[in-house]
Amino acid sequence: MSTQLDEYLEAEIQSMLTDGRIAELGITVQRREHLLVLGGEVESGRRRDEICRQINERFPDVHIVCDIGITRASAPSEVEEIS
Amino acid sequence: MIRIAAVGDVHVDKDVLGRFRPALEELPERADALLIAGDLTRHGTVEEARCFVTEFGGLGVPVVAVLGNHDHQSDQQARVSDVLTESGITVLEGDTTVLELHGHRLGIAGVKGFGGGFAGASASNFGEREMKDFVGTTEVIAERLENALKSIEVDALVALTHYAPVPDTLLGEPLEIYAFLGCYQLGRAIDAAPTALALHGHAHHGSERGRTPGGVPVRNVAHPVIKQAYNVYQLLTEHVDAELVAS
Repeated sequence: MSTQLDEYLEAEIQSMLTDGRIAELGITVQRREHLLVLGGEVESGRRRDEICRQINERFPDVHIVCDIGITRASAPSEVEEIS
Repeated sequence: MIRIAAVGDVHVDKDVLGRFRPALEELPERADALLIAGDLTRHGTVEEARCFVTEFGGLGVPVVAVLGNHDHQSDQQARVSDVLTESGITVLEGDTTVLELHGHRLGIAGVKGFGGGFAGASASNFGEREMKDFVGTTEVIAERLENALKSIEVDALVALTHYAPVPDTLLGEPLEIYAFLGCYQLGRAIDAAPTALALHGHAHHGSERGRTPGGVPVRNVAHPVIKQAYNVYQLLTEHVDAELVAS
């Protein structure tokens, strides 16, 4: 039986994302007609790849698109005056 | 004039080493101190705390931090704090530090904070023991922040938390999880003292700017929100200067 793209699947993936191994609470899961899109940002490419690997491994029959970005870490060019 | 740099939610582990360091090396040219608004680590392990110290330590400016919920994940928060403190980073939890900068006294009061929600959609200290424990924790932490803020007399007072003190800076997050991202009690504590600026993290999909009901500026400095290594805020301005020294 193939995995249904329903809200239980979405909740299970969210649970996986926030468990002790991955520990990413800022990843979004969006259901499309035939696929799931993982979004948000993480701190490294290695972390993004590991998240997508684990989700794909757990749900091999679901088409998962990994649209997770890496948060930029450059120095600021402006200062905000607080008043 | 005092310039403080701030960021939160950097979630350092081995895979992050080296990502922030180039921008941090420039920090002393841009700011007088660095404030970290929690979630320094990914799972709150001692090993990750050491990675954080490697990346954020030894900057040549004071570094002041509060822990976040991730830093509590492995129940090693005391040891995590020890690793940070041993490296010269000040960790606040219900207490304060005062920095002497350019002849001014900058006071920072910090707590991790906790959830509970905001006016019209907040949890109550009522019912099951678990619920009373949850809201009771929130109330105790907020009281500690208020007492800390009121305990020092300085030229500029900053409140540093991980959880949000206002809903303004949560815009972009699902409404359903606001109660897990912050609480009004922190805002009330901040308004009870002459606070100049409140900094927090935790809300990765939130917004950068807000104000408490009492008018104190609030900034969400979660790294995914500010999208750079740190933000710089200028307090006690003698003249307007919108450009940083370094380019």
